[in-house]
Amino acid sequence: MHNSTLGLIFSENPEANLGDLTNLRALAAVPVGGRYRIIDFILSNMVNTGIANVGITTTSKMQSLTDHLGTGKDWDLARKQNGLFILPHNEAYDSNKQYGVDYIYNAFSYLRRSRQDYVLVSDCNTICNLTYEDVEKLHMEKDADITMVYTKVGQIEDRRLKRHIFLDVDKDGRVTDMELYPTVQKLNNSYMHMFYIKKSLLLELVGDCIAHGKHKLNADLLMSNIDKLKIYAYEFEGYSKTIDNIKTYFGFNLDLLKKEVRDELFGTKDDDRIYTKVKDMVPTKYGKNSCVTNSIIADGCVIEGQVKNCIIFRGVKIGEGAVVENSIIMQNSQIMENCLVENAIFDKEVILREGKKLVGQETYPVIIGKRVVV
Amino acid sequence: MRSKECVAMILAGGQGSRLGALTKKVAKPAVPFGGKYRIIDFPLSNCTHSGIDTVGVLTQYQPLELNTYIGSGQPWDLDRKNGGVYVLPPYVSAEKGEWYKGTANAIYQNIGFVDQFDPEYVVILSGDHIYKMDYAKMLKAHKKANADATIAVIEVPWDEASRFGIMNTDENLKIVEFEEKPKKPKSNLASMGVYVFTWKVLKKYLIEDEKDVNSDNDFGKNIIPKMLENGKKLMAHRFDGYWKDVGTIQSLWDANMELLDDAPAMNISDKDWRIFSKNPAKPPHYISNTAVVKNCYITEGCEIDGMVEHSILSEGVVVEEGAKIIDSVILPGAHIGRDAVIKKAIVGTGAVIGKNVKIGTEEIGAIEDFVNTKICAADITLVAPEVKIKDDVAIAKNSMVTKSIKA
Repeated sequence: MHNSTLGLIFSENPEANLGDLTNLRALAAVPVGGRYRIIDFILSNMVNTGIANVGITTTSKMQSLTDHLGTGKDWDLARKQNGLFILPHNEAYDSNKQYGVDYIYNAFSYLRRSRQDYVLVSDCNTICNLTYEDVEKLHMEKDADITMVYTKVGQIEDRRLKRHIFLDVDKDGRVTDMELYPTVQKLNNSYMHMFYIKKSLLLELVGDCIAHGKHKLNADLLMSNIDKLKIYAYEFEGYSKTIDNIKTYFGFNLDLLKKEVRDELFGTKDDDRIYTKVKDMVPTKYGKNSCVTNSIIADGCVIEGQVKNCIIFRGVKIGEGAVVENSIIMQNSQIMENCLVENAIFDKEVILREGKKLVGQETYPVIIGKRVVV
Repeated sequence: MRSKECVAMILAGGQGSRLGALTKKVAKPAVPFGGKYRIIDFPLSNCTHSGIDTVGVLTQYQPLELNTYIGSGQPWDLDRKNGGVYVLPPYVSAEKGEWYKGTANAIYQNIGFVDQFDPEYVVILSGDHIYKMDYAKMLKAHKKANADATIAVIEVPWDEASRFGIMNTDENLKIVEFEEKPKKPKSNLASMGVYVFTWKVLKKYLIEDEKDVNSDNDFGKNIIPKMLENGKKLMAHRFDGYWKDVGTIQSLWDANMELLDDAPAMNISDKDWRIFSKNPAKPPHYISNTAVVKNCYITEGCEIDGMVEHSILSEGVVVEEGAKIIDSVILPGAHIGRDAVIKKAIVGTGAVIGKNVKIGTEEIGAIEDFVNTKICAADITLVAPEVKIKDDVAIAKNSMVTKSIKA
């Protein structure tokens, strides 16, 4: 597969809204899971499949993402041939008004120049540990034009329905209908925003969309071609979670407290690891009076207080007597002595001074922006 | 090859036989330390921070793991176009081929390597010490004194001085005499095994030393005394930071435990002098509802359901519910079974400890077959890498468990 396929990842998704967390950074660069950024999962999946050429579309909020990715060496993508390509956005458009088709159109010269004949197009914000060999196999077996990846879901609450695209799939695995953000749920095959396609066909379809003033990837490029093309669907049966708002962001992080999710997502073998930028932090130091339960803790922290049901990122300091529960504390934040923090998300480098209290609601966590000192 | 002012050569060929089972399959510099590091990370990181970007690592004993570990040198920023890190094993040439006979011979055999960079100075380092040192300062002192050689020295307690190579100096720190392990030391300035030489002087001495059939081809025994004899200018350079030779199980255990002191003698979390290492791609560690962790260092990939107190856990260690780890160092990927008790032990890489096993116990009836006070002094127990110990076994303290105990 590695010789014939390149990856194309969108670093933004207009349908996702993470509020303050994406004020200054791309969706793909939002920190998750203690030491990762959202993009690490999809990028590692591609690398673990053997894809050696990955293009990442960007918008004007690309700084934090490009800092994170660097030359791509942490994903083994710093190559002479192929490797990692940051695809700059087109200044002529307002980023907010660009859709998937425009992003691909902007990447035309990169796509044309690449030697690979197939493209795996993917959003960045569906988190899973999926290697694509079986997707490609299905695609070839069925002689498909496009193969879309989906997962089975149960009953979705009404207000979450507007976040789902459902596929109607016949016995042969062929997509016969698509429902975009329906108001009533009739299907349970939820599209994971990844599809596999021959490069020449992708270029042709995108060109056609642009020529007809159509910009939406799902509606214009995929849905309107269901009858014209052979579109097949591949079912992914593992854990997956789409991060598209604060609630799903919080939920994903807390899912990591479950062993079966960790084992699946982070892999237990050496060929399905999730890679990220290496920081050379020391191991985490636990103090004599620390009390930590049910938490994920990254390297470089100094924990003197109490931590329960938390995700603690690299280099966080939690002082003696402090109590931190049900919270996500990002890189280099400091919670000083005798503070109380519940149901909160701290962005990077937040400082909470001695004895302060910050309590959010379980359903509505409080978010403290980057470098805020409370 | 672009010329370099200074090239570093790290002597990493030693077996480290006093580390017993830990160095059966790996060279001493590749032994894990402090949860995330290998011993060689210290000299390599020191080189990078001191601005030395050309480093030769001389390997000989069990080099596979060390070679794999160093790789391209990227973790230490030593993957350079000009310079970088080079692993230098002994080799066969048209005339002859031989092992490195001694420390000086190892450098002698690599004169060609050093000459490529045409350096003014070479720094000779040992790959078995834990310390953070700015070699640039030492090089500056060497240049200022216009010395032929400068040797880093550290003050050691007088009663221990007879275990070291001792430098007797005048008031300006000019070395007047060198005594290897003197019975009655005249000074307590011990050599740290860190040397700066003016290359063209050293080269001449290495060539002469090679011709001397009676020589042990060793820096301490031959090169330094010869230079002193010939009236060369040898200077001592005082170092007053933390320095530890982790050549024995006890000193390795001590050095690990010292990281947990209230005010550790060496700060490994100094942002300006980070110790670089090869990072595994592992998730952050997880501490469960049944876990108790106090006064310890824990790193990536660990899953903790038991109790860990005053201990250091390396990456990927699993501690099951009810297990207790006290005063111990657990190396990468070890698995500690339910209700096991590990006391004052070093548990090797990938070891699997069964349920209810007791390691380092004083209880009557414990297995004493592995007791080895030569390697494991001071009540420390060592479990060799990859050893599997079946459920309900008790291992007496001071043991070195070198083979699996199977059901």
